[in-house]
Amino acid sequence: MHSQSVSLITSRLGDETHIAADADTWREVCTKLTAAAPDEACCFLLTRPSRGITRTTVILREIIWPKPGDVQATPGSLELSADYISRAIDAAIDAGAMVGLCLVHTHPKSEKFGEGIARFSSRDDWYENRLFPTITLDRPGAISASVVIGSAGDVDARIWWRERGECVTQDVQAIRAVGPELTIIETPSSPWKDHPDPAVMDRSTRLWGGEGRRRLQNLRIGIAGAGGTGSLTIFGLATMGVGKLLVWDKDIAKKQNRHRTAGITSDQIGKPKVTAMKVMAESVATAEPFIIEVYEDWATTAEALTRLKDCDLIFCCIDNFAARVPLNDLAYAHLIPTIDMASWVHADRNQQIDALMTHAHVWSPGIPCAWCRETISSHILMREAQGTQRGIEDRIPYGLPLEETDGVEPSVLPLNMLGVSLALIEFMQVALKITTRTPNDLKFFLPEWELDESDRPARQACDCILNVAMGDTLVINPVMME
Amino acid sequence: MPPSELLLQAVAELSARSGHVFHISPEPVPGTSLFVVHTENHEYRPEYTITSGPLGFRVPFNLPTAAPEDSFFIAAVDAKLRVPDPVRNSADLNRVGRAEGHVSGSRLGNASVLVFSWHLWNTVPWDRRKHTLFDHYTHSIRRFERAEHD
Repeated sequence: MHSQSVSLITSRLGDETHIAADADTWREVCTKLTAAAPDEACCFLLTRPSRGITRTTVILREIIWPKPGDVQATPGSLELSADYISRAIDAAIDAGAMVGLCLVHTHPKSEKFGEGIARFSSRDDWYENRLFPTITLDRPGAISASVVIGSAGDVDARIWWRERGECVTQDVQAIRAVGPELTIIETPSSPWKDHPDPAVMDRSTRLWGGEGRRRLQNLRIGIAGAGGTGSLTIFGLATMGVGKLLVWDKDIAKKQNRHRTAGITSDQIGKPKVTAMKVMAESVATAEPFIIEVYEDWATTAEALTRLKDCDLIFCCIDNFAARVPLNDLAYAHLIPTIDMASWVHADRNQQIDALMTHAHVWSPGIPCAWCRETISSHILMREAQGTQRGIEDRIPYGLPLEETDGVEPSVLPLNMLGVSLALIEFMQVALKITTRTPNDLKFFLPEWELDESDRPARQACDCILNVAMGDTLVINPVMME
Repeated sequence: MPPSELLLQAVAELSARSGHVFHISPEPVPGTSLFVVHTENHEYRPEYTITSGPLGFRVPFNLPTAAPEDSFFIAAVDAKLRVPDPVRNSADLNRVGRAEGHVSGSRLGNASVLVFSWHLWNTVPWDRRKHTLFDHYTHSIRRFERAEHD
């Protein structure tokens, strides 16, 4: 009686649509639902939007499991009780105006139906076309979703929202499961294409396989900052075969940048740094097609923070602490793994180096954030804001002179290169899973001459735990730099 | 760079809770990203030779994520103790230094100020999700209750 076909009303919220969940949540849903095979199984999750410029992501967060009796399941059907649906809708309403619902269900393997295919059936269409008008009713700020999981772990998905009084839908192209590593599961609507001439990447493909090559070709990576570390990162990613780069930097290339910045040729002096980066990247890129978009602005403006939500992964290559705050928040709230790197040299009065450090740190759910690692703290941010008057409170009461400094520390290519190398190795792990574990924070430092991994745990009740998958419901303040 | 809406709200809240009208400078102090927040006529310690006048502190553009500067100032550079502190045998205010250009760009202009090093956030670290400018203010004026040789 439920098999008649229905025409769903389709519309577009963006050129791309994704669903994202933190890896633990996605694993729990998949494990519990597929364990019910050969019967189908389902659950609701609360959703929050993450709206970029070209991509809309629906983020899954809290799971609302059915209680006994809430779901009647067979190998070919599911019946949800009105109580379960009401409980889920109430939970979404209670969580705020931007919170919607996602219905996830399985198509398991069974004797009767064979392999479970991850495609919405006409019965699914019929059922969801009745369910989602109720879920989206009077909730214009929320975006809901539905997902079907096949017996081989394949998926199909779509989003639902209210538009001009009607409940409309759009196909989803990928599901991102984000933890210490980034897993991207393509749906049948995925636009991803493989490299047209894979042989040119043979030596790299031997490490990460054809699937890794395909992933590199289609990833969209944001790079915040095109200076000492940013330029080398752009060079590395373009050479490795990443297909889409977005780069932000407001600086103009100066002759003083040339000794430690890749790609700033003498004819680029006086032009925006990002222009030089575009020329360099296009000259070395191995992806085909290769697209690089450059923005002559800082990556922490309101517009840039919105556009960064279009990215699958971000490299933080900026040289100040204040700008790390919104990027750190973005990584956890919007489930976009971010690799932060920094180099630091301190020379004594005789120009002898007494301390030197470079590090690369992954910010992603399951890994302690920059606040836990104390890369940023309220005190460090205050000291940075003091600028040329840094440390005045320590000196002035004792009549000590306020040492004037321009706050600019030494910077050298080899140190930046080392930091970028650590970051790119972490990138291979996060994006391509070349081994079994993602390191928290790799650091090289003097005077110990040691390469070490941070073993600092996450702080209790830190935002990197509390704010995971909050999406646009978390306010992230832009940082406007002079 | 004018102060953010968040910063303006924080100063408004400070004024409401403290009972003093606090102003914020329209631009950061040159060379820094610190805004001057001050009130024109605040009581000082009765033992000082000048007992009231401007009082304030400097706050980063990204407060409350960044902590306020760990000090405060009064615009009474000639203030002394009416009775010398017997421990230090001095009429100078303790752990206080005169600073030029500290409040540039605020209503106080290029006035010299006395900066109190107070380190109030050393033992209780500033918590960006909990503390406010009013907490910073109450920490600051507690300095007037302590012995001058602390």
